[in-house]
Amino acid sequence: MKTTLAVVLVLLTVLWYLSFLATRLDRLHHRVETSWANLDGLLQRRAAIALEIARSQSCDPASSLLLTSAAYQAREASVQERSSAEMALSGALGLLIIDGQIHAHDSEQSLFQELKLLSAKIRIAIAIHTDAVSSTQMVRRKSAIRFFRLAGTAPLPVTYEFEFDAL
Amino acid sequence: MLTKKLRIGIVCPYGWDTPGGVQNHVRDLAEFLMSAGHDVSVLAPAIDDAHLPAYVVNAGKPISIPYNGAVARILFGPIAFARVRQWIAAGDFDILHLHEPAIPSISLLACWAAEGAMVGTFHAAAKHQKVIYAIGPILEPAIEKLSARIAVSEAARLTLTNHLETDAVVIPNGIYAKRYANGEPQEKWSGNTIGFIGRFEEPRKGLQVLLAALPIIARFAPDVRVLVAGPGDPKEVEESIDPQLRHRFEFLGRISEKEKADFMSSVTLYVAPNTGGESFGIILAEALASGACVVASDIPAFDSLLGGGEFGALFESENPSDLAKVVIELLRDSDKRAGLSGKGREHAQIFDWDVVAEQIFSIYEMALVGAQEITLSSENRPWNRLLSRDGDKK
Repeated sequence: MKTTLAVVLVLLTVLWYLSFLATRLDRLHHRVETSWANLDGLLQRRAAIALEIARSQSCDPASSLLLTSAAYQAREASVQERSSAEMALSGALGLLIIDGQIHAHDSEQSLFQELKLLSAKIRIAIAIHTDAVSSTQMVRRKSAIRFFRLAGTAPLPVTYEFEFDAL
Repeated sequence: MLTKKLRIGIVCPYGWDTPGGVQNHVRDLAEFLMSAGHDVSVLAPAIDDAHLPAYVVNAGKPISIPYNGAVARILFGPIAFARVRQWIAAGDFDILHLHEPAIPSISLLACWAAEGAMVGTFHAAAKHQKVIYAIGPILEPAIEKLSARIAVSEAARLTLTNHLETDAVVIPNGIYAKRYANGEPQEKWSGNTIGFIGRFEEPRKGLQVLLAALPIIARFAPDVRVLVAGPGDPKEVEESIDPQLRHRFEFLGRISEKEKADFMSSVTLYVAPNTGGESFGIILAEALASGACVVASDIPAFDSLLGGGEFGALFESENPSDLAKVVIELLRDSDKRAGLSGKGREHAQIFDWDVVAEQIFSIYEMALVGAQEITLSSENRPWNRLLSRDGDKK
């Protein structure tokens, strides 16, 4: 009798722990998804602003071409290529900003201002996303989670290497 | 999105009645957010309800226990946990902002109990690594529920990355820069004066370093005076001073915020000889904003706040002769003083609430993306959901 009771108790504890781990993991996956959605939205907005800058008067044809192609690539990139495409866009914007801010007309100053605010947000969003990804990866390495397949069919989140110096 | 009115719940882990950096920060943040039109409720432990502002909810009497090298007034236990859950359930919050969720107080309890958009701010720069290694596995599941983390300084961020393996965005503590910029220089505090503000009885505030440096300073600047402001009994300190130098000291006792601004604008040099235990150094930000020329010890928090010496002079911590050297040099060179204080005043603008609250708010926005309203996590457990459908639910 006593042994049965002990076995049941142990079993219950194990079950509770597994359910706890599963909830935890589910929450982390959710965090990865929302932080990515947030980052993705901000990056899309940046690409849109880059296009607007490319079409503005203060942009010479060569940098306009560079910027347009970089922005389109960033928008259309697949998940795997996203990071490098965004980095290219950061680079293109970075090249432009140094003399862009000197030559910009008043009407475009607000555009650059917006870009600056957006870059600050993107930097934070990247930090939040990478953090979510790394904690998820850490929890998924736990043997209990791997053994009982608590992650289910959710893909392992990928770390992106983003260039930080957008502006 | 910025125009949307939010219901924000802020949890302060330390007793509201006792003065402290975190409490001040929470108070100013809450008041700033309210003036921006948001609904704010602060949950904090407090000894009695009488003096609490309307937006503070009392979580119970704090317990004084030694934690991390100082006496902390914190609160935990089953009754506190129930109060926290009650507050969360009744608050109907869009977002929770938890301060110091890594110490055993109500912020951690709230983090454990709630589900939804949560932001955590880490203030402390801890030294006791072994303790953190021991409690790390307990904290981890709670800390990882936070959608975004803020550290008040680079030192606090390093503590977080080293011990809990998570990153944070650095947003400094805020000050009302204008209040300090408007400080009026007072005749009685001017001249060759050195100012010090703080609970001078605590050794970590470092008044003893200044005392040890004074004989050397007095030799080179005979008319120097030291003005010490802050709560405490000056008798013991006075007795430890060389009788010949005693008349150079003036103890002002506790001063008001307005007097503080005037004080800092009046003194020739503001000295912060703290020997450690400081994670941000809000007092230095205030001194810079008031246009004081700052001399501070080179502990990590001060070093980073002063930009490695760009916005104020640094001396080797706990080294009185180095302090004396720096002070004498500055007392003699008014151009250098003016240069430092000018740069410092400009730099202090980044600590202004207008700037800091904007940054905090953009973190809120990010935490809110895709998040639902704050609920108790127990409500989301499948069996509770099943039970609650039958009616009775607390």
